[in-house]
Amino acid sequence: KTDNSNPFWVAFKSATDKMNLKLDIRIFPGGTDSRYVRRVGIPAIGFSPMNYTPVLLHDHNEYLDAEIYLKGIDIYTQLISAIANV
Amino acid sequence: MTDYENHPAVNNLRNYIRIRSVHPNINYDECINYLKAQAKELGLPYQVYELVPKNPILVMTWEGLEPSLPSILLNSHMDVVPVFEKSWTYPPFEARLVDGVIYGRGVQDMKSVAIQYIEAIRRLKNKGLRFKRTIHLSFVPDEEKGGKNGMKNFVKSDYFKNLNVGFALDEGLASPDDSYIVYNGERSIWHINVICPGK
Ligand SMILES: [Zn+2]
Repeated sequence: KTDNSNPFWVAFKSATDKMNLKLDIRIFPGGTDSRYVRRVGIPAIGFSPMNYTPVLLHDHNEYLDAEIYLKGIDIYTQLISAIANV
Repeated sequence: MTDYENHPAVNNLRNYIRIRSVHPNINYDECINYLKAQAKELGLPYQVYELVPKNPILVMTWEGLEPSLPSILLNSHMDVVPVFEKSWTYPPFEARLVDGVIYGRGVQDMKSVAIQYIEAIRRLKNKGLRFKRTIHLSFVPDEEKGGKNGMKNFVKSDYFKNLNVGFALDEGLASPDDSYIVYNGERSIWHINVICPGK
C-alpha cells in the first residue's frame, strides 16, 4: 500500500521528493517476483530508476544510457539510507 | 563527458551482462560465482540456497545496528529472456558501449538494478555509514518463467522467514518521459481455457 500507514513507503516517498523525482504510481500489468513477496504479507515496491528510456525489456537492442544508470545508483544510495533507517 | 569505458560501476554492469544467464536451460554457476566475488569485495557475508536443483538463490547480508528489526530486501532476478540475435545491431551479450549507451540483453530487465543495489551499498559502506535495519540483497533464478523454481518457492521457506523481511524492493519498468514508474501492486493473471465443442 502506498499511503501513510506504511512507514517504509513514507520513507521511500520522502527520499524521492527530496531528490525531486516525479513518480508515476501504477499497478504492474504483468507478473514479477514481488507478487510472491506481497502474497506472504510483505509490502513490496517495484521500481527501476530508468526515466527518459524507451521500454525495451524482452526486445531487440535493449539498451540503457550509462548516465541514467549512474543516476540510478545515486537514487538507490538515498533510498536505501531512508528505508533502512525507518 | 564521463569516461564510461573506465568507470568501475559501468564495467561492473557490463561484466554482469556478459554472463549468458539466458533461457532456456540456464547454468547459473557463472552468475553465482560473479555475485560471490561481489559479496567478498563488499565485505558482506552471503548464503546460497538451492531449494530446487540448478536454481540457486544467493543472499548477501549487511547487518543493521538493530538486527532484531524487520529487514529490507533488495531483490533482483539473474535470468534474462532469449534473444533473436539477427535482429540486434550489436551482439546482445557483449554489453557494447556506444556513445554513452550500453546495449545488451538484461540491461533494463534487470541486471542494471542488481548492480545498482551493489554499487549503492558499496558507496554507503565506503562512507562508513551504518543503518538501523539489516539489508539483504537477494539474487534469484527463474523469474522470467514465472518464478516457480525461484521466488515462489523461496518465500515459503524457513530460510526466507529467517530473513525477517519487513519491506522489499524489486524491478519496475522504464519510463520514456521524465517520470519514474513505481508499482505498488500487481494484477493477478488468470489463464482461462475455453473449450468449444463443435456440433
Ligand atoms: Zn525482470
